[in-house]
Amino acid sequence: MDVLISLSLNGLATGMLIFLLAAGLTLIFGLMDVLNFAHGGLFAWGAYSGIWIYTSTGSFLIGIIGAIIAGMILGIVTERWIIKPVYGNHVQQILITLGLMLVLSEMLKVVWGPNQISATTPDYLSGSWEVGNVIIIKYRAFIIAVGFTVFLLVQFLLKKTKIGLVVRAGVMNKEMVQSLGINIQKVFMFVFMIGAGMAALGGMLLGPYSGVIYADMGMEFAILAFIVVVIGGMGSFSGSVMAAILVGLSGSFMAYYVPDLALAANMLLMAVVLIFRPQGLFGAKG
Amino acid sequence: MTKVFSNNRMNIFYMIVALFLAVLPFVYDSRSTLILLSQVFIFAVLAMSYDILLGYTGIVSFGHAMFFGIGAYTVGVFMKRFEPETSYFLLAVLVTILLTAVVSYIVGLLTLRLKSHFYAMLTMAFAGLFLVLAEKWRTVTYGNDGFTFRVPEFLRDRTDFYLICLASMVIVFILLKRFTNSPLGKVLQAIRENEQRTESLGYSVLQYKVIASVVSGVLAGIAGILYAVSLRFVNTSVFTMDITLDALLMTIIGGVGTLVGAIIGAGIIEFSHHWLTELAKVHWIFERWIIFFGIIYILAVMFFPMGIVGSLQKLKFGRKKKTSAPVKSEAVSQGDS
Repeated sequence: MDVLISLSLNGLATGMLIFLLAAGLTLIFGLMDVLNFAHGGLFAWGAYSGIWIYTSTGSFLIGIIGAIIAGMILGIVTERWIIKPVYGNHVQQILITLGLMLVLSEMLKVVWGPNQISATTPDYLSGSWEVGNVIIIKYRAFIIAVGFTVFLLVQFLLKKTKIGLVVRAGVMNKEMVQSLGINIQKVFMFVFMIGAGMAALGGMLLGPYSGVIYADMGMEFAILAFIVVVIGGMGSFSGSVMAAILVGLSGSFMAYYVPDLALAANMLLMAVVLIFRPQGLFGAKG
Repeated sequence: MTKVFSNNRMNIFYMIVALFLAVLPFVYDSRSTLILLSQVFIFAVLAMSYDILLGYTGIVSFGHAMFFGIGAYTVGVFMKRFEPETSYFLLAVLVTILLTAVVSYIVGLLTLRLKSHFYAMLTMAFAGLFLVLAEKWRTVTYGNDGFTFRVPEFLRDRTDFYLICLASMVIVFILLKRFTNSPLGKVLQAIRENEQRTESLGYSVLQYKVIASVVSGVLAGIAGILYAVSLRFVNTSVFTMDITLDALLMTIIGGVGTLVGAIIGAGIIEFSHHWLTELAKVHWIFERWIIFFGIIYILAVMFFPMGIVGSLQKLKFGRKKKTSAPVKSEAVSQGDS
């Protein structure tokens, strides 16, 4: 039982990190029809800049804020200069965002060196609680809490605010939104910024969780995030959280019981979803 | 476009270049140049196979490395497990063709009926799966470190191997030229230009796309065989994204949808890789040579979607021969989202 609970917590924490990455991907895809292959790069940049700020200022909170700001700035730059020129052309979009991914992860190596950097948890988040026989590692609980908070915040933003309404309408029919006099370009930029900020936050949180950060982690997590986006349904925000938790849990359980098949299980899940429900398990539209 | 290449002058030019390359080892005896050129030929095969997908059919694969890796590992395992003899080598080639055909068929069938994103994503994920498999299946692959193996007699001499690589490249080039000019190839190009219209003209688009994916996968596998033989060593790096990125850079920079562009791109990337790595002694920034290519690549996708060869063709013939490959290919399918 203890094992089950600790595995579930572990899976939930990983799932939340993947969610932070996948949510941006799926929102951007739903609204702009752009699959951002550079999203993993934003994730890694968030991790590096966040950890760098954290180690130089000593404050974890400032590190997190710095990571989010860095991610948002990168997101805006990406949207303006890289993706905007190729809107409406899928092949070029895929190619160009992959190129950006390449440049982003190489830039990381130029700025911070090719070796991996270690990251520590701040004092107030290290250690664990003991509830009965179950040991709950504080930092994992923290990640889960942050993940859910972000989910609720974005859900609130989407469901209750004006801009959220516009975004949801844009996902359904962007031409209509535009013809109603709303500057869809600004909305695109806003969503891209939010998505990039979430990815950067995820990267930053991963640092102390895994202990080290390295330039290729963007790619590794991006693959998981793609799986989540497919399973959850492209463009479905609430689908992405469910799918992320699913993938996180299956990852942690498989890693414990059949470690060699951990990634294979998720891949298989994705293949099955693609065959039988290409619109995703929770998605409404294809 | 056909005219350019059925053009006799062009064919004679290609023949002269091929002949020049064939006599080169007998006139200019430099081991390192031969090895470098062999690499160029091998990657040219890979890039041409990629061009069939990207340039001729308009689909983007991010998992091309998996076919390359299957080829490399198959030949490696066969040579290591059994005797390094010609018969086993040929068997390895057959197995590679079979495996790559089956894998590309399955992957293609799964995703090619969906939007282009899915193919890009699923191939990327599948390639990741093969990478994990190569890492974990230690009894066969020796994990991350890989293994060395001996090669059959006829592949041992560097000059002979150089000629074999050159011949493979020329043969693949001619075959693919025929393939793309065949009615089948024309349908593929039609799919690239306008998928809906091709479909409504009565072509089963999915089948044609799957054919393109299988042809491309098998050829990438053959490039992988040559690559492993050239190194006499194979490790998990053959399955990494870097290989796919190489193919992508070569095709885009050289020029999509031209085949020659893929060869030229392979030459440019391999040679500059070589030189820039040497330059790393001068300044460390050259260690990260890929960053230059990343930037050139982004600029190329934005401003020169036809690459070097495509842009030259356009210049030479003054009028629009064809619309550039990646452009427009899916602008129409926007409506169905």
